[in-house]
Amino acid sequence: MTDADVLRRAGDASVLILTSLADGPKHGYALIQDVSQFAGLRLGPGTLYGALDRLERLGLIEALPTQDRRHPYRITAPGVAALRAHLDSVERVSAVGRLRLGVAGA
Amino acid sequence: MTGRTTGRLVTAVLRCYPARWRSRHGDEAAELAELLIRDGTPARAVALSYLGGAARERLAGRPSRRVSAAAALLVAAGSLGAPLTLLSAGPAAGAAHVSRAPASRTGSRTGRTATPSQQCTARPDRASGARPAAARPGVPRAAISGTGRRHGQGC
Repeated sequence: MTDADVLRRAGDASVLILTSLADGPKHGYALIQDVSQFAGLRLGPGTLYGALDRLERLGLIEALPTQDRRHPYRITAPGVAALRAHLDSVERVSAVGRLRLGVAGA
Repeated sequence: MTGRTTGRLVTAVLRCYPARWRSRHGDEAAELAELLIRDGTPARAVALSYLGGAARERLAGRPSRRVSAAAALLVAAGSLGAPLTLLSAGPAAGAAHVSRAPASRTGSRTGRTATPSQQCTARPDRASGARPAAARPGVPRAAISGTGRRHGQGC
């Protein structure tokens, strides 16, 4: 893992949320639905809000004006960079793991 | 669990969050809970997830509040009838059998049944039936609370 990978200690929920926001702004319920679809994981609402607050404090996402009672969030430029760095890092580890396991596609 | 009971349960758990969190996310969090429950997520799993979030939110606050906040949240978890091991269990928590919790015994001592929000505000030493530390001889006041602030503000 590189130092540029600020998400390495942010937790899986943060990575899932950034990945979900990478294709456009979403509010809480839409995030949970999307993560459930692409990762097969159901984020708990308590976990979701904790991760959203943390990502916002880090400047990786920002809240958009409230629609009805919902806060949509969007990924920021530093958020895109952080997600890219994290995915690169995970990919490197994944490649080494596959190689050592003798799995095809390494 | 009826819709009304579910609503009260989630409302009570959301009260465990700090006021600044509630003013920012409270309305949306309540609506999200409704939607998730309507989708089939067990109400207890939603409540436990929010309870865990409230604990993390409070524990991330000022260090002087950490012990009292953690204790208050443990009592709140007990009032939901949840084994402590389920606090981090997420959706699986919905499968847990729920029985009457110690907090309901608090109400029976006075002949009243505590509402969820009252259970949430119950002080740990009262809920357990123990004498408050302040009433015990030989316990210096300063040792009970470093700041003298009230326990579980907003919870």
